[in-house]
Amino acid sequence: MKSIYLHQWQRFRRAPMLVVSFFLLTVVFVFTLAGFQSDDKFTVLALVKEGSSDQAAEEWIDRLNESEGMFFDLREEEEVREMMRDGRRNFALAVGDSDYRMVVAAEDANLMRVESYTAQVFREEFRLMQAEEAGGENIREDIQSSLEDPVLTVTTETIEGAEGTFVYDNQIQTLFGMTLFFSIYTMIFSLMNVTEEKRTGTWDRLIVSPLKKSQMYIGHFLYCFTVGCAQIVVIFLLFKYGLGFDLGGNFPAILIVVGCYAFAIVALGTLLMGLVKSSQQLQAVIPIVATAMAMLGGAFWPIEIVTNNIVLFLSQGMPILYALDALKSIAIYGRGLADLAQPLSILIIFGVVCMGVGVNLMERRG
Amino acid sequence: MLETEELRKVYKGTAAVDSVNLFLEKGESVGLLGPNGAGKSTTISMIASLIAPSAGDVRLNGKSVLKHPNEIRKVLGIVPQEIALYPELTAYENLKFFGRIYGLKGEALSRRVQEVLELLGLEDRQKDLVKTYSGGMKRRINIGAALLHEPEILIMDEPTVGIDPQSRSYILDTVRKLNEEKGMTVLYTSHYMEEVERLCDRVYIMDHGKVIASGTKDELKSILSGEEAILVEMDRDYPELVKELDADEAILQTIETDKGLKLIVPKGSRLLGKIFQAAERHGAQISNITVQVPTLEDVFLHLTGRKLRD
Repeated sequence: MKSIYLHQWQRFRRAPMLVVSFFLLTVVFVFTLAGFQSDDKFTVLALVKEGSSDQAAEEWIDRLNESEGMFFDLREEEEVREMMRDGRRNFALAVGDSDYRMVVAAEDANLMRVESYTAQVFREEFRLMQAEEAGGENIREDIQSSLEDPVLTVTTETIEGAEGTFVYDNQIQTLFGMTLFFSIYTMIFSLMNVTEEKRTGTWDRLIVSPLKKSQMYIGHFLYCFTVGCAQIVVIFLLFKYGLGFDLGGNFPAILIVVGCYAFAIVALGTLLMGLVKSSQQLQAVIPIVATAMAMLGGAFWPIEIVTNNIVLFLSQGMPILYALDALKSIAIYGRGLADLAQPLSILIIFGVVCMGVGVNLMERRG
Repeated sequence: MLETEELRKVYKGTAAVDSVNLFLEKGESVGLLGPNGAGKSTTISMIASLIAPSAGDVRLNGKSVLKHPNEIRKVLGIVPQEIALYPELTAYENLKFFGRIYGLKGEALSRRVQEVLELLGLEDRQKDLVKTYSGGMKRRINIGAALLHEPEILIMDEPTVGIDPQSRSYILDTVRKLNEEKGMTVLYTSHYMEEVERLCDRVYIMDHGKVIASGTKDELKSILSGEEAILVEMDRDYPELVKELDADEAILQTIETDKGLKLIVPKGSRLLGKIFQAAERHGAQISNITVQVPTLEDVFLHLTGRKLRD
């Protein structure tokens, strides 16, 4: 087993392009989609609602821009509509004298967050206005000074992670989603060494050696597992320490999730190898499976925003869903391993079943 | 030392190998001869414990290989028909890997790799990637990978397919050296008659999955000892002439070849005059005529009615 495992690394040193290219692709995608936003506010385009005054809209925008996480950019209606037509923006905020409307061209993961924040600001402002009408003109200043120098401080803790709670972090979503997605390619393409060996005859050479078949398979699986884990962990560390992504404080738990996920993907690759007849077929199947799994499993967008019951049902069969769930639980909600028993168990069971069936199918074919 | 008993392999209702019995004595060089599709590769795959037979058994020193596959794996070196190497690695790295899986380590492994490279005449190219090698050099390393653990039995499945005559000659000399100097038992499959004639003490001839003849080279040739072959070279095909000669009772067999005809006739029969007359009747231009003693190729033709490379 050790000789097979080390031999795979020797082959990797001679032909590293496959793994390196998927590593670089992950870095480029994560950096492009999430890396630039590390210090910037999320920009929301805004326009003046038809029949409303510019001045009132500007006042609302100033109020909305008190947020630390978002920047509302008021522009001409025509300009905003053109940007939406071109696909540069999926939605915008139309601000009226005393109301607002979301103008949506396409689904967007940030839409819910923006709408929720806007509604909150409008609600607060109306309450203040009502209070001003009832209690005098100085109420706003009184509230402001009370906020700056409170009589007592109340610390509020949300029960994060409770049913229905959804915290969206674009950086974490992109980093986890893209890294797990591209690692599928790395692991399953690396596993193709087995089919290649069978094609070229070196596999038969190994069979007639004193090595056991189980040692041969484990040597290959262990290599794919290691290379997959290494890719994921190096990328996580790069973005954590290089670009300041907040992965939470429990990196050992992240490593365990990565290990379970890599095991499940190597097993899935084994099943695919058992199902197809040649490495050419496998090459065609891998992108289909990887992309479908990433789309259904929530690698490209948070699964929490998906409402279609069929998609949600199908997503239950995707190992990437459980890995993302576990990783986000650690990074966003600060949960520990004890809370991750369910997704991790599912990943391990998925892996054991796929590997057992896959190896059997391959052996049956001879 | 090694024997098969009624070995049989059936694929989808068709017997690829049918009741094959053969044996190899220690230090012998045995040829397994037959055209493509005769069942040679399937037979040696079963002997090497690569595939399980549908029926029958393989015995090594009396022990069933089916029940104890590791017994044969320890003492067997197999050279597959295809180049079963890692092209992105050097020859040295390839050999080192194959040596390691047989349990060789450290200094002993390095020394053995150098010995094999020397035997194959590739010491100077050992650091080059296998993918940069010529076909002949790849074939040599392909053989080398089976020699690292100094096997007692070497099974070679058409090891010279598709290479230049010089490389072929080098490989045949190497195999002879292994057999004669190192006492290695060799089972050599080929459809090149001259290779088997040059290397092997005994020959099994296979066709359609069955052994149709076996024995020493002389024993096999004695099948045709009362006969001789007349090779008639002509400018083109003359079907009417073939028909006439075929109908002649004095001619045992008429076979069309690339250059003309091969006639199997009883030894000492004076048929040359008859052949010239028939050729003249049909306007055939004979450019050369040769009378020769039978070769293994003729024996094969006699037994199967087919040429080895058909």
